[in-house]
Amino acid sequence: MLTIFSNVVAIYRKELQGYFASPLAYAIAGVFWLLAGFFFAALLLGPTGIIAQAAFNDQTGNPIPIDVPYQFQQFFLGVMGNLVLFIMPMLSMGLYSEERKRGTLELLATSPITNWAVATGKLLGSVTFFITMVLPLLLYEIYAMSAAEPPVQLGVPLVGHLGVILLAASVLSLGMFISSLTDSTLLAAVFTFGLILFLWVIDLIAQGVGGNVGEALGHLSLLKNYSTLVKGVLDSGSIILFASYIFVGIFLTAQSIETLRFQRS
Amino acid sequence: MIEVEHLSKVYGSTSAIQDVTFSVKPGEIMGFLGPNGAGKTTTMRILAGYLPASGGSAKVAGYDVHEKSLEVRRWIGYLPEMPPLYPEMTVESFLYFVARIKGVPRKNRRDRVNHSLDRCQIADKRKLLIRKLSKGYRQRVGIAQAIVHDPPVIILDEPTVGLDPRQIIEVRNLIKSLAGDHTIILSTHILPEVSMTCSRVTIINNGRVVATDSPENLMAQLAGGSEYELELDKDVTAVKQILEVVPGVGQILSLPAENVGANRYLIQVKSEAGTEPGREIAAALVRSGVGIYEMRRDRVNLEQVFLELTTVEDTEQGVAV
Repeated sequence: MLTIFSNVVAIYRKELQGYFASPLAYAIAGVFWLLAGFFFAALLLGPTGIIAQAAFNDQTGNPIPIDVPYQFQQFFLGVMGNLVLFIMPMLSMGLYSEERKRGTLELLATSPITNWAVATGKLLGSVTFFITMVLPLLLYEIYAMSAAEPPVQLGVPLVGHLGVILLAASVLSLGMFISSLTDSTLLAAVFTFGLILFLWVIDLIAQGVGGNVGEALGHLSLLKNYSTLVKGVLDSGSIILFASYIFVGIFLTAQSIETLRFQRS
Repeated sequence: MIEVEHLSKVYGSTSAIQDVTFSVKPGEIMGFLGPNGAGKTTTMRILAGYLPASGGSAKVAGYDVHEKSLEVRRWIGYLPEMPPLYPEMTVESFLYFVARIKGVPRKNRRDRVNHSLDRCQIADKRKLLIRKLSKGYRQRVGIAQAIVHDPPVIILDEPTVGLDPRQIIEVRNLIKSLAGDHTIILSTHILPEVSMTCSRVTIINNGRVVATDSPENLMAQLAGGSEYELELDKDVTAVKQILEVVPGVGQILSLPAENVGANRYLIQVKSEAGTEPGREIAAALVRSGVGIYEMRRDRVNLEQVFLELTTVEDTEQGVAV
């Protein structure tokens, strides 16, 4: 047990080291910060931003005031979800395909370390990198929210951000599996993107199918479950769904590496 | 230390190796020799626990490589054909990483990393990124990662491929220095490498073992004595009369005399197995007044052994080379 843990940590540290030494990771983080920062400013302060809307609301004398912090968080985390959808496949695409291309998979596969430990360590590494990507934005948010009157209750933002992290981890986990199927990072990115997009809008497809099957499919939707968490509803169903995606990703990765050894390479 | 019995591996409908059997004793360097595509890499991957075998068994230090895979992986250091390196890591941090995943206890890691850095003479490159190293140094880092957990068994797949001659010599010396403490299997398609580094040779061709022995024995077996090539001023009939009585002399043949002057003849004299009648041949010829322009002994080297063994195998199977 202890060795498994220490193996996971070894892989985790190697992955993080790899991200922080990789120009690609910095480029991804840079683009993410730029876009997220732009949306943050636009949604808050832009001509159609939430503050402008609130002011308009006041002027027209609408009796129901806008809950500015809550509405802003809805918009902003919605945008974050979209960014995660676009950007996470780029973080996950190299997880295994690079190892396959460089031949380092042979080192991992001939070391006394299980496929599970490798996959778990890699996923934790990429999720940690994502969290470091989110941290600066969190500072913006805290700064903006601290100006709210009355003060913001912490519950809703916490659940919302948990949602962001769970969503990112699910995408990374499935992306890791796809990355383990090919030694081309580009192919991995393309297929991950396709799969995630499909899971994103699966509830639309489910509506078309209808019936029990449709309903079952609808529960698989990333967008639907993400929205639930972003609203601040700590729905166990949604959390279980994300946890299942994460688990399935790791499980399939471990299996695919195991079967890889049975193929001609 | 390593026992391989009737090992076979089938990829789809093509079989990569069939009925491969050999064993390696502790402290030995075993050379695994064969042309490209003979099944060397497949065999090594099976031994390293990377591929499962389709049939037969392979044991390292008494553990079956398939059933006790995790156990065996602790016991071996493996350098694949392409050194498995992370270019964005420094030499030192890479070796620490490998030591960790190979299960070296925390308190020994620093010692082990330093030891393998010294052993591979890359201690002065420890802070450099692997990306910035030359091919020769990368190969050494590859060997360093194979020995960092002090494994009793080291498997090296074509360790000198793609290196320049000076680097090849350095890598060979390094490998030789590892023998004794470690049992080593090394694969190559370069013949001189085997005779220079290995104490035993297994020759493999088309997925089958064709011979296993020490390099010297293989040569002797096949040679059955040495050959002399002579350039003389008498023809083969005259020479036969003189040399037939010399002890140890076997067949005497006339070779096609091209590019030799008029009244000069090329003659080949084969000795009987285990004899070296060169001195007597020269003395007999001189005594009889035969002029010698040239006399040369042909040693049978592994290169010939290899060619002979593999071509025999080819004709046996009726496969065109």
